Amino acid sequence: MTFHHLNRRTHLYLALFLSPWFWMYGVSSIPFSHNQYFEELDKAKGIPPWTKRAEIPFEQPVPDGPELRPFADQVVKLVGLSGSYGAYRQSPKQVNVYVYTFWKSTQVKYFLEEKKLVMEDRRFRWDHFFTGMHAKGGFDQGGWHNVWGVMVDLVCLGLLLWVVTGLIMWCSLPVVRGWGWVALVSGVVSFGVFLWRL
Amino acid sequence: MVSKLLRRIHLYLALFLTPWVLVYTLSTFAMNHREWFRGKPPASPKWEKVSEQVWEGQFPEGADRAAKARMILTTQGLDGAHQANERDGKLVIQRNAAITPLRLTYTAESRQLLVEKQVVEAAAFLERMHRRRGFQHPYALEDTWAFSVDFFIAAILFWTLSGFWLWWELKVARRLGALALIGGFGIFAFFLKVL
Repeated sequence: MTFHHLNRRTHLYLALFLSPWFWMYGVSSIPFSHNQYFEELDKAKGIPPWTKRAEIPFEQPVPDGPELRPFADQVVKLVGLSGSYGAYRQSPKQVNVYVYTFWKSTQVKYFLEEKKLVMEDRRFRWDHFFTGMHAKGGFDQGGWHNVWGVMVDLVCLGLLLWVVTGLIMWCSLPVVRGWGWVALVSGVVSFGVFLWRL
Repeated sequence: MVSKLLRRIHLYLALFLTPWVLVYTLSTFAMNHREWFRGKPPASPKWEKVSEQVWEGQFPEGADRAAKARMILTTQGLDGAHQANERDGKLVIQRNAAITPLRLTYTAESRQLLVEKQVVEAAAFLERMHRRRGFQHPYALEDTWAFSVDFFIAAILFWTLSGFWLWWELKVARRLGALALIGGFGIFAFFLKVL
């Protein structure tokens, strides 16, 4: 096997293996780029996005600082939800805990003065399904969530290898070198103009 | 003939869009490891004073927040995509920019206009570029960038489809290719089930 053969095969097999991620990132970028269109489309249906599931009496102190994860831990265990989760302070009187899976999103609102938790499920939407998957990453959730983070790194590595192996393939084909330079230089210049003017 | 055409478009499109691929790749990596690059919780952006002056302009009667912001930006020669907030007599305008975003703070009482620029930070820059999209701003340049993002999306879908075609034509690579494809789909389906 020659170097060029290995280079070609790396480009191909890596692309085939990572094609579900590549496809997912492509499709999910459409609702990100046309967010207003998808929001208006959904609004026209006139269906509320959240449905109340339960209301539970609850009283727990909320930490003063920005780190609310230990509090979210307690709430998630109490209500028996699974998925990636986190919490944020909606107001001085309300803390929201969100629990997310690719297929389902739930928020648990803690009303400090009323001493109660209100659980709400978000209606499934395909655009949210894709954008949620697109935005998922990081290593702060543990378990399979972190393995997904590793896959995101692998996709990044795959993209870099595509660029490198692709450039090597292009350089080894004299017949496409001229127009290739035109494409590459015009891309770099266009991008440079955006950086300068945007 | 079709294969040759697909091969050429696949290649030239990739060469043209190389800067976009690199920026989206590096920004994805930076966001996936945000703690490494920006700390936990992510550090707030740092601002550096550019100028401070009394703003001599006059708002038309009944001007709302958006109109005031646009007027200040225009008089400073800084018209462009921005967001504005008004609170406690202060109008804060965040002027978008790829490399150094600006913050203009106008205090109504003293008519002071403070202009600050964001200190350049690589991870924040990459994240800004990654998130910049959409046609919500009334500026041609913003729409052109948004169009380039759509073009990139179309290219991703085209690369995938044309890549399948080109693979299938290589009889010698069909078996191992199928293995890679099935492996990828299997792992992806597993994540769909468990996450």
